[in-house]
Amino acid sequence: MNKIRNILEDFDCEYIENYKRVWLKTKLSSKDDLLNVAQKLKIEGLSSLSTVSPTDFLEENIMEINYFFEDLDTKRNLWLKVDLPRDEKLCEIESLTPLFPSANWHEREAFSMFGVRFLNHPDLRDIIKSKDFEGVYPFRLDFDWETHEKDIVNNMNKIVSSFKKEQEENEVDLDTDSSETILNWGPTHPASGPIRLRVHCDGEDIINIDPDIGYVWRALEHLVTKKDFIGAIVSVERLCFMDNINSMVGYAMAVEEIAGVEITPFAKWMRVLLGEVARISSHFMGLGGFFNNMGLHTLAMWNMDTREFFLDFLESYSGARIATASVEPGGVRYGLDMTMFDELQKALDKFDTTIDEVEAIFVNNPTMKLRANNVGVLSADEIYKYGLSGIVARASGVKTDIRIDEPYAAYDELDLKYITQENGSAKDRFVMIFEELKHSVDIIKQAKAHIQKAVDNKEMDPTKDHLVKVPKKLPKGEAISRVEWARGEVLMHLVTQEKATSPYRLKMRAPSFNHTMMLNHLLKGQTLSDIPLIFGSLYVCQGDLDR
Amino acid sequence: MSDIFFSAFIFPGLLYALVWTVGLYWFFRKFMAALHKRVGPSFNGIAGSYQTLFDLSKLLTKESITPVGVNPYLFSMMPLLALIFAILPSAFIPWMDGFVVIDTKFGLLALVVLIGIEPFLLFLTGFGSNNKYSFLGGIRILTQSISMETTFLLAALSPAVLFSTMHLGTIVEQSSWLSLLILFPGFILYFISLLGLLEQPPFNIPDAEQEIVNGFYTEYSGTNYFLLQVAKFAEFMAIFAGASTLFLGAYKGLFFDSYFFFFTKMLLIAIVMMTIRAATPRITLKQMLIFSWKYMVPLALLNLAWVFFAKSIWFMGL
Amino acid sequence: MIKILDFFDYAKSESLWMAHLCTGCCSLEMAATMGPRYDWERYGYLPTPTPRQADVLMITGLVSKKILPALLRTYAQMPEPKYIVALGACSFDGGPYNESLSVIKNPTEILPADVFVAGCPPKPEAIIAGLEEIKKKIKAGIPSAASQGGLWKEMEF
Repeated sequence: MNKIRNILEDFDCEYIENYKRVWLKTKLSSKDDLLNVAQKLKIEGLSSLSTVSPTDFLEENIMEINYFFEDLDTKRNLWLKVDLPRDEKLCEIESLTPLFPSANWHEREAFSMFGVRFLNHPDLRDIIKSKDFEGVYPFRLDFDWETHEKDIVNNMNKIVSSFKKEQEENEVDLDTDSSETILNWGPTHPASGPIRLRVHCDGEDIINIDPDIGYVWRALEHLVTKKDFIGAIVSVERLCFMDNINSMVGYAMAVEEIAGVEITPFAKWMRVLLGEVARISSHFMGLGGFFNNMGLHTLAMWNMDTREFFLDFLESYSGARIATASVEPGGVRYGLDMTMFDELQKALDKFDTTIDEVEAIFVNNPTMKLRANNVGVLSADEIYKYGLSGIVARASGVKTDIRIDEPYAAYDELDLKYITQENGSAKDRFVMIFEELKHSVDIIKQAKAHIQKAVDNKEMDPTKDHLVKVPKKLPKGEAISRVEWARGEVLMHLVTQEKATSPYRLKMRAPSFNHTMMLNHLLKGQTLSDIPLIFGSLYVCQGDLDR
Repeated sequence: MSDIFFSAFIFPGLLYALVWTVGLYWFFRKFMAALHKRVGPSFNGIAGSYQTLFDLSKLLTKESITPVGVNPYLFSMMPLLALIFAILPSAFIPWMDGFVVIDTKFGLLALVVLIGIEPFLLFLTGFGSNNKYSFLGGIRILTQSISMETTFLLAALSPAVLFSTMHLGTIVEQSSWLSLLILFPGFILYFISLLGLLEQPPFNIPDAEQEIVNGFYTEYSGTNYFLLQVAKFAEFMAIFAGASTLFLGAYKGLFFDSYFFFFTKMLLIAIVMMTIRAATPRITLKQMLIFSWKYMVPLALLNLAWVFFAKSIWFMGL
Repeated sequence: MIKILDFFDYAKSESLWMAHLCTGCCSLEMAATMGPRYDWERYGYLPTPTPRQADVLMITGLVSKKILPALLRTYAQMPEPKYIVALGACSFDGGPYNESLSVIKNPTEILPADVFVAGCPPKPEAIIAGLEEIKKKIKAGIPSAASQGGLWKEMEF
C-alpha cells in the first residue's frame, strides 16, 4: 500500500486516503497525469482494471470518472478519480486500453452511455445500446428520454433498417472465390441465448468474432435512480436471476455503508446462507449448460432435479423460487422459522446422495476431456491482463476470491479456502464449477450449524434479529462494495446526494462483461464446434452482460 | 401384383416404416426420459403411447414452408426421395424364415449401397435450403458419411467373407454361436460406424443443435419435415435390421425362430445406442475424421484379416 | 372424412412444440419446466431448435427494443397454425422494467398473445397450466390472437 501511496504522491493529487482495508482512494487534479500514473501503477503490480465508471454531476457541471485498479495477487486496490468537463465536446480523456486491455469494453460502455470520448482507443464503437440511441447518451442526466420514447415507431424503424443494412453489407468485402462467410450465431439459436456473435468464418474455421450484445439491455443502472433505496433491490436482483441474492447483498452493503448502519450477526449469517444457496442453484445451471453445449442434456436434467430442492428452501423462506427480493439494506427481509432448515437439510441430503454419480459419469467423462482439455486455454497472465475474475480466474490458478480477500457478511468467521485448477482450459473451468459447488455446500453446512447453535444458545433471535432500520433519506456520500458472485466479482459503486431518497448513480460491474470480451481472443483460429463449448465454459449470463 | 402392392405399402414397406417410426420415436423419448430421471410422454394414451402419433400427424398436416430463394423442386423432392431410399433396403432383408421381398445373390451389396446413398440425399436437402447453417450441415454429413462408410462397408463385408456369399438368407442360415463369436469384432466396428451414419452421439455432428442449429433440417417444416423424420427412423430400421441380419442371426432365436427375435435384437441395438446417447457428449468434426481414418479403417482391415484367418482354421477343423 | 380431419385437429392440439428464443429472465423457469420435477414432456410439449418446426412461441419475459425485430422474425418464420404464450409481468406491461428506457412496455400489443401467464417469473406449474389453456383454445377452434390483429402486421422487421 505504501508503495502505491508513494507513487501517487509524485503526482498532483487532491487527496490520498485509505478506504476500507484493501483500498486506497485518490483523486487526480489533472487528467493529463492519468497515463503516467497508470503506467507506474501497472509496473507496481496493479495490473487489472476492474471497471471504468463515469458519474454525471449536472449541477457542478463535471463528469467524474472512477477507475478501479486491482492487484489480484497482493490484494491491493486503488480507487482513482478524475474530473472531466461535462460538455460533450470537451469530455475526453486518454484511453487506458493500450495499457490495460480489460478497459476495452468498459470504456466503450462509458462512451455509449455517457459520451466520454477516450482518445487513442483502438475500437471506440457503441456497445450495448440499441441503434435508436445513436449519437445520444442515455445515461446523461440531461437526456430527455420521455421525448425519446414518444417516437417509438421511428426508433424501431432505425433499429430494423440499421440491422438490414448491416446484413446487406456484411459480405460485400469478402472474397467471392473463397469459402468465407459471415454467420449470425444468435439470438435465435439453440445455444446462444440473447446475444449475437457475428462469426466471420472460412468453412468451419473461425477468422474473427464480433459479439453484438445488448439484447436484454434493461438499463438497470438508470432504472435504480428512479426508485427508492428499498425498491431498487428489485432492479438489482434482476442483474441475473441465476444468482440474485449475492448481487442484492452487494447493493445492500453499499447502502449500509453510506447510512452508517451495522447489521446484526444473524443477518450476516443469513446472507451467507442465502447467498450460497443461490450460488449453488446458479452453478447447477452452469454445469448443465456446459454439457448442453456439447449436445448432452442428461447432466442438466439431473442437476435440475437437485436444484429444485434448494429452490424449495428459498421458496419456503421468501415465498418465491427465484425472485426472492429477500436481502435488503439493513439485513434480510424475513425472519427465519427454524423448521425451514428441514427443507434445507432435505436439499443437502439429496445433494450428498447424487453428487458421486455426477462426478463418476460426467466430471470424469473421457469424451468430455477429449473435447475440452486443450480448448479455450487462458493463462494466468491473461487473467491479470483482461481483469477476469471468479471461476474463470481460479481455473487458471489465480488465487482470487472476494469472500477471502475482502470478507463481507460473515465470511470472515468461516473456514474457507481458495479452490483452483491449473491449466485454465474449458475443462478446468467445468471442474472448477463442480469443485466450487461442493465447497458451497460445505459453507452452507457450516453456516447452518452456526445459526442452529446460536439460536439454541439464545444468542440470536431468528424472528426479530433479521432487520435493522435504515433511514429512508441518506446523507451525501459514495461507497463501493464487492461481492464474490457465482460468475465472479461484482463491484457496486453507489453515489448519493444530500437527503437522497433514491440512488444518484449505481454502477454495477458485472463479470460476464469481461468474460464475453475474451470470446474473440479465445475463438480466433478455432472451429465452429468450439463456439458453444467455449461460450458455455466462460459461464456467461446475458442478464449481467447487458444489465 | 397384390404381392408387390402388399410388400411396397404394408410389410415391409410404407406402413411398417410408419408404425416403426411411431413406436421407436415413442420408445426413444420414453427411454431417454427415464435416463434423465423424467417421465416422458405420459398423458396421451397408455404411458403416452399416442403422443408420437399425434406429433407426426401434426407435422403431416402443418403448413410446409418453402423459403424464398430455393429451388422448390429440389427442396420438396429431396425429403420424398430420402424416404423412398430409406425404406428400400428393407426389401432385401429376410424378415422371417423365407420371407424376403427381393431375393438376390447380392443382397448384402444392395443393402450397403442403399444405406450409403441416404447421406448424399440428406446433403442435397441441406444444399437446397439456401441457408448457411443447412449448407454447413450438408457438408458435415457428406464428410462424415464418406469417412464412416468405409468402415461400415469393410465391417459389413466380414460375414460375406466368412460365409463366402452375399446372399443375406444364406448368411442368416449359416450363422451360429461360433460365427457370432468370430464376427463379434466386426459387429463392434459395424456398431460404431452405425452411430456415425445415423448421426448419433458422439457423432451427431451434422445436426449439432448447439453449433449449426439443426443442420440440414433447419429450413424444413410441416409435411417435408414429417417425411424427413420418417426417413430418419426408416434408416434406423434399415441399419439395425442390417446389423441383426449380418451378425446376430436375424430371426433365429433360442428355442424357435420368429420375427419376435428379429425385433428384440433391433430393440437391443436401439437401447445400447440410446444409452450411449445419454452419456456421451459430441466430438468435433476433426476428431471424428482422425478417429475414423486413423483407428477405425485400419481396425476394419485387421478385422477382415482376422475373419480370413478364422475361416481358414474353421475349414481346416472341418 | 370429417372424423379424420377431427383427428388431425386433435393431434395439433395435443402436440405443441416450442420455438427457442430467450428474450428474458423467464426462460430460466422454462428450463425448470423441462426438468425432472415438472417435466412438460408428459403433456407432449417439446422444445425445437428452429422456429420452422415450432407451434408455440414463448415471449419469455421482457422484450428489449433490440430483440423485438428478432422476435417478430422468429414468429414470421413459424408455420401456421402458430400460437403465442406471454410469460411473466414484463410481457404484459414491462413489469419491473416499466420505467426502463430500453424495454418495450407493450409487446403483446405488437404481437398479441393467446395466453398470459402471470408471475415474475411464473412458476413452472403456471407455465404448464398456461400451455394447457392453449390446448383448450385449439380444441375449441379459436384462431390465434396474433393472426387476428396486432401492430406487427404494420411493422417492418
